[in-house]
Amino acid sequence: MRYAFYLGCATPVKALKYEISTRNLAKILGIELVDIPEFGCCGFPVKSMDSFAALLMAARNLAIAEEKGMDIIGVCTGCMAILSEAREYLEDEKLRGKVNGKLKAIGVKEYTGRVKIKHFARFLYEDYRLDRIRDKIVTPLASLEFGIHYGCHYMKPTHAHGHFDDPSRPFTLDDIISVTGARPINYPNKNLCCGLTIMGTAEDLSFRLAAEKLECLSNKGVDAMVVACPSCCIAYENNQRLAGKRAGKEFNLPVLYFTQVIGLAMGLSEKELGFELNRIKVDRLAEKLIP
Amino acid sequence: MYKFFDREKLKYCYQCGRCSSGCDINRLDISFQPHRLLHLISMGAIDKVLKSDTIWKCTTCFTCSERCPQGIKVTEILWTARAMAVKSNYIPELLITQKDILLRTGRLIPMDNKKREKSGLTAIQEEPSVVDRIFEIAEKEK
Ligand code: SF4
Ligand code: SF4
Repeated sequence: MRYAFYLGCATPVKALKYEISTRNLAKILGIELVDIPEFGCCGFPVKSMDSFAALLMAARNLAIAEEKGMDIIGVCTGCMAILSEAREYLEDEKLRGKVNGKLKAIGVKEYTGRVKIKHFARFLYEDYRLDRIRDKIVTPLASLEFGIHYGCHYMKPTHAHGHFDDPSRPFTLDDIISVTGARPINYPNKNLCCGLTIMGTAEDLSFRLAAEKLECLSNKGVDAMVVACPSCCIAYENNQRLAGKRAGKEFNLPVLYFTQVIGLAMGLSEKELGFELNRIKVDRLAEKLIP
Repeated sequence: MYKFFDREKLKYCYQCGRCSSGCDINRLDISFQPHRLLHLISMGAIDKVLKSDTIWKCTTCFTCSERCPQGIKVTEILWTARAMAVKSNYIPELLITQKDILLRTGRLIPMDNKKREKSGLTAIQEEPSVVDRIFEIAEKEK
């Protein structure tokens, strides 16, 4: 199992605990995530500046993966959505021909349309399979309750993502987390956007979106929120205090990456899961796990 | 400029408002109404849309696109409208900064290899030239 590891821009700078826990989890699962130094920006931020430039950036990454003969696994939902959208656009032969002409000019081989793109969680669900994860659980997290936040681009637009999950009743991450023994709860605003994409252009709305979910999950008394995207984590963890301030509240809700949760159940150490980088302390969680 | 939506398809929008009624930004800020924006675009008043700061409130969550009974790619249209606004020189401050960082570093967020090494992760080199050339090539596409 060898895959091109698409790290993106945010994870290797802003989400080191996500990167660390993903690498260590992949290792014990026997999944080889190959670093590709040639990968560049996925095109997400560029899409608001120049649509064609954004497509070229995405296409370039697909072409590089194809040349290496590997499918892509990534951890940022935004990157996965943009690359998957590009993959869909490039099914159009005319457009692909045009894009390939431009790729040639920047020294990249043509893209023929063969690369598959999957978020690491989707890969675990669809390809690795949950029963194989279950076999490796050594510390069941039976005492823990989590509120899962999927992130909009995790499964939307559904056509680009091959309809692998249902945006109105998402289930893949719930199923994965359930395998650890923990209980994912259902909550009213589960499908709410984290709002981070508009932090720089509509700050107030962005904070209000984040605060709504933080408040809901705080009231539910979950042990932590579980996320699958560096942007969502920035919105809910890094900005938690600021979002709370706007809402006149003080939140204290730990935010974990799904990779940290699975790793915890598989007996990986705090260091291997990057727990010392969690800003909202997870001691409460640790106490619950020690009998 | 390359557009990822077909103006023709917009005529299938029957202004039911389902896109707006499912939009959380519309719920928080009533002045933001995706179906109104589409109406303006299909009426040829696109400049009005590009000039307003409204399009920059959309989170690109895709909820509207998933809800539209006519299969209209609402999010994609609003997203493209942003790029059109930028081409027409209606550029939010944030994008000027972001483009500058992209051109300088090849990434949206500059690399911090000291921090990476402290956490036991290997360094990653910035590769700015690719972004520069891609913008240059795309610039020529009308
Ligand atoms: S949901 Fe679709 S058809 Fe209805 S107003 Fe919105 S874009 Fe038009
Ligand atoms: S994509 Fe934009 S317009 Fe559509 S529902 Fe989300 S925030 Fe509203």
